[in-house]
Amino acid sequence: MTRCPAGQAEVEMAELYVKPGNKERGWNDPPQFSYGLQTQAGGPRRSLLTKRVAAPQDGSPRVPASETSPGPPPMGPPPPSSKAPRSPPVGSGPASGVEPTSFPVESEAVMEDVLRPLEQALEDCRGHTRKQVCDDISRRLALLQEQWAGGKLSIPVKKRMALLVQELSSHRWDAADDIHRSLMVDHVTEVSQWMVGVKRLIAEKRSLFSEEAANEEKSAATAEKNHTIPGFQQAP
Amino acid sequence: MATYLEFIQQNEERDGVRFSWNVWPSSRLEATRMVVPLACLLTPLKERPDLPPVQYEPVLCSRPTCKAVLNPLCQVDYRAKLWACNFCFQRNQVCELFLKNVEFVFTRRGAQSPLIFLYVVDTCLEEDDLQALKESLQMSLSLLPPDALVGLITFGRMVQVHELSCEGISKSYVFRGTKDLTAKQIQDMLGLTKPAMPMQQARPAQPQEHPFASSRFLQPVHKIDMNLTDLLGELQRDPWPVTQGKRPLRSTGVALSIAVGLLEGTFPNTGARIMLFTGGPPTQGPGMVVGDELKIPIRSWHDIEKDNARFMKKATKHYEMLANRTAANGHCIDIYACALDQTGLLEMKCCANLTGGYMVMGDSFNTSLFKQTFQRIFTKDFNGDFRMAFGATLDVKTSRELKIAGAIGPCVSLNVKGPCVSENELGVGGTSQWKICGLDPTSTLGIYFEVVNQHNTPIPQGGRGAIQFVTHYQHSSTQRRIRVTTIARNWADVQSQLRHIEAAFDQEAAAVLMARLGVFRAESEEGPDVLRWLDRQLIRLCQKFGQYNKEDPTSFRLSDSFSLYPQFMFHLRRSPFLQVFNNSPDESSYYRHHFARQDLTQSLIMIQPILYSYSFHGPPEPVLLDSSSILADRILLMDTFFQIVIYLGETIAQWRKAGYQDMPEYENFKHLLQAPLDDAQEILQARFPMPRYINTEHGGSQARFLLSKVNPSQTHNNLYAWGQVRNLQVFGEDAKLTE
Repeated sequence: MTRCPAGQAEVEMAELYVKPGNKERGWNDPPQFSYGLQTQAGGPRRSLLTKRVAAPQDGSPRVPASETSPGPPPMGPPPPSSKAPRSPPVGSGPASGVEPTSFPVESEAVMEDVLRPLEQALEDCRGHTRKQVCDDISRRLALLQEQWAGGKLSIPVKKRMALLVQELSSHRWDAADDIHRSLMVDHVTEVSQWMVGVKRLIAEKRSLFSEEAANEEKSAATAEKNHTIPGFQQAP
Repeated sequence: MATYLEFIQQNEERDGVRFSWNVWPSSRLEATRMVVPLACLLTPLKERPDLPPVQYEPVLCSRPTCKAVLNPLCQVDYRAKLWACNFCFQRNQVCELFLKNVEFVFTRRGAQSPLIFLYVVDTCLEEDDLQALKESLQMSLSLLPPDALVGLITFGRMVQVHELSCEGISKSYVFRGTKDLTAKQIQDMLGLTKPAMPMQQARPAQPQEHPFASSRFLQPVHKIDMNLTDLLGELQRDPWPVTQGKRPLRSTGVALSIAVGLLEGTFPNTGARIMLFTGGPPTQGPGMVVGDELKIPIRSWHDIEKDNARFMKKATKHYEMLANRTAANGHCIDIYACALDQTGLLEMKCCANLTGGYMVMGDSFNTSLFKQTFQRIFTKDFNGDFRMAFGATLDVKTSRELKIAGAIGPCVSLNVKGPCVSENELGVGGTSQWKICGLDPTSTLGIYFEVVNQHNTPIPQGGRGAIQFVTHYQHSSTQRRIRVTTIARNWADVQSQLRHIEAAFDQEAAAVLMARLGVFRAESEEGPDVLRWLDRQLIRLCQKFGQYNKEDPTSFRLSDSFSLYPQFMFHLRRSPFLQVFNNSPDESSYYRHHFARQDLTQSLIMIQPILYSYSFHGPPEPVLLDSSSILADRILLMDTFFQIVIYLGETIAQWRKAGYQDMPEYENFKHLLQAPLDDAQEILQARFPMPRYINTEHGGSQARFLLSKVNPSQTHNNLYAWGQVRNLQVFGEDAKLTE
């Protein structure tokens, strides 16, 4: 059951899918929803199916109308579409969709385009972050590179990493963080060894950025103060 | 009754409260004759997107024995800036006035204590189960808030408490799994009593710049995530070999004991979750539930009835002791039990039930049911905050004519006596305050009251009774908050106003409240006694409120506000909450655990599953939970809360087999097949815990889930009465609803 609800054109939440559960290990295991679909469901619950019918008070069980004729049930085909009632009997939930084509067919994400910005971000953090942490992140980025180059990562993972790096480069920390979370939820087996390094990198870059911004503000404020102190005249 | 239904629903939306009776009988005698007690279902943290919290402290009544919160029912003299408490009639002064049912944010001075998550992990799992569990735990580190504290204890034959450090050298403290230790012993052995001197080689003590600095065993996620990810990744199966015919030695009792003692010594009275992940029963040490010989099976209900469950009493006592200590410390215990056989939920259930922790039961950690249910613990609300909350105390005040008989739900008593407390107990009684250590926006308590007015004391005309619910709790953002809900209802004299009282009966709330009472009783009484009690109550209610001519059974009628109630009772009697047949003791404990804490809508689904029918004859419609609803040309969707069942009638199944859905001219058939799948998906996407999903058809073996729930109105006993030889759906000797 793959779905693509209409209107969800957000590039970040490209993967909205449902996979079947693990029938081998769990009887009647429910289907698995992707991170995108699960977070979507976080809104107010609609509780659609909650109505009941009262039992007839006279005690007679209802005899269903369509079953009063004896003999085998007619095994003709279902009513064809043209004779169907005006609106097809869809469920009260969202309409089912077609195969997901939320992405135009594009070339696979390029490893260098992902690794280089990450390594650059790490370099930027070197002054600000403890050496041990930087080394740890660096080790994990190396692992990421090794797995990517070795063909061990699936296309959706590579695609989302490319998006993550874009968000990181544009300083959209929350969005980058959300993509990292979606990868951890949907593809934990592939990414768990190195993803925590990327997560830390996002956090370090964010804190470095806000520190720099704070410093800039401070220096701008002092510069202004120097300008406006009375009695000081600019030398002609 | 349309207006009363709206009134009831509006009130629930606004206040999170549903009462069994919305017009109250004015005397004790009359109230007892109503059969269903005056009681309410309260959802203390009901999501209220329209009600942002207010940044002031609540205004309290100045009488020390009262201290009720200023609320919309109080008389206010704006000019004199006085208000009269509606509970004790004291006049109080006030400057700011807040006259809505509001939530207050009580900003505590000083640092806010972070949330704490302590993972207690069973390593006696199969390889791929352990791998799946490890991955889920690693994933959870990305879902936890960065400043939350996290810790790890692993256990099998021994119990290992892992010291989390960023130095790259992993150390742990190992305990024998056979001997229980006191809290003090645990704290001493872990070096918690002298914070600057660990038992191992001394390292220079870290300066504690923050009053809630972490301990060596509980570190902030943002600092420790990389190391903990590696530590989790390196976890191995319990190394002790398990010989043929034996179970692994699992020291769950000691592991939990150490977890409770660790938190007790380091972070009492702050929001914390102990999350126990176990793949089998405890087989060693205190709290063991079964021995290690596979040929001796774990206790069944039959064993328990025959008093043949050797370990049950002692184990239950052990876990009850732990649960009570945990609740006293303000922490909660979750149990995630994934195994094909029982894991001891019967003995351990108090850990989750008394503390408000979660209980999740699955077949394996490598299933979507576990993985997604676990993820949903970390769902965020519309504000981006976690829905989980901690350390709640619920304080209930009533006006003079009422007293509090007790509460049923995931709580413990705080033993607060007072004028509001009744001597007759229903549920957890003898108090007007309870503690709920773990809760979320759907957590619901059943609170039972007693009308104490004497028979001939008149209630002033238009007089109303009032109840105030004050919930103090720790929000997931670590802020402390107070939610105040005050409600009032009219008193009425039963003799002259029975019709009014009848019309204001909430049969849904009444059914759930009676069901909770029944399930509460079932924990300590014999099954058949509980059923007899339930039946007697139903008969008495029908006698009081039914209209009938004696000697003429077909003349019996109930008004609309009672019409669904007998059905609810019928299905309740057959439900897994009161019928333990065909369920293991663990399964019964699991179902009862969820029943005792869900809100009204979900509780009703559990009592009487929802059944919807999809066909070409019109839009999807609810149908009677009866065998007569099973028809060849219909698709049925049944929601029992724990399972979602989609059942294709015989003809539909044949059409699907013939492949009509793939032919373009029969596209409407494709839509028909898809419709219940879409609706099922809506439910599956949101519900906690995640239900099992059964997609079956006429004649399929899994159809038994549907057939066992429907009222068997058409069985071989009465089939020939209508000459319908073909519609033999349900074989059963079960009593029918109409009998």
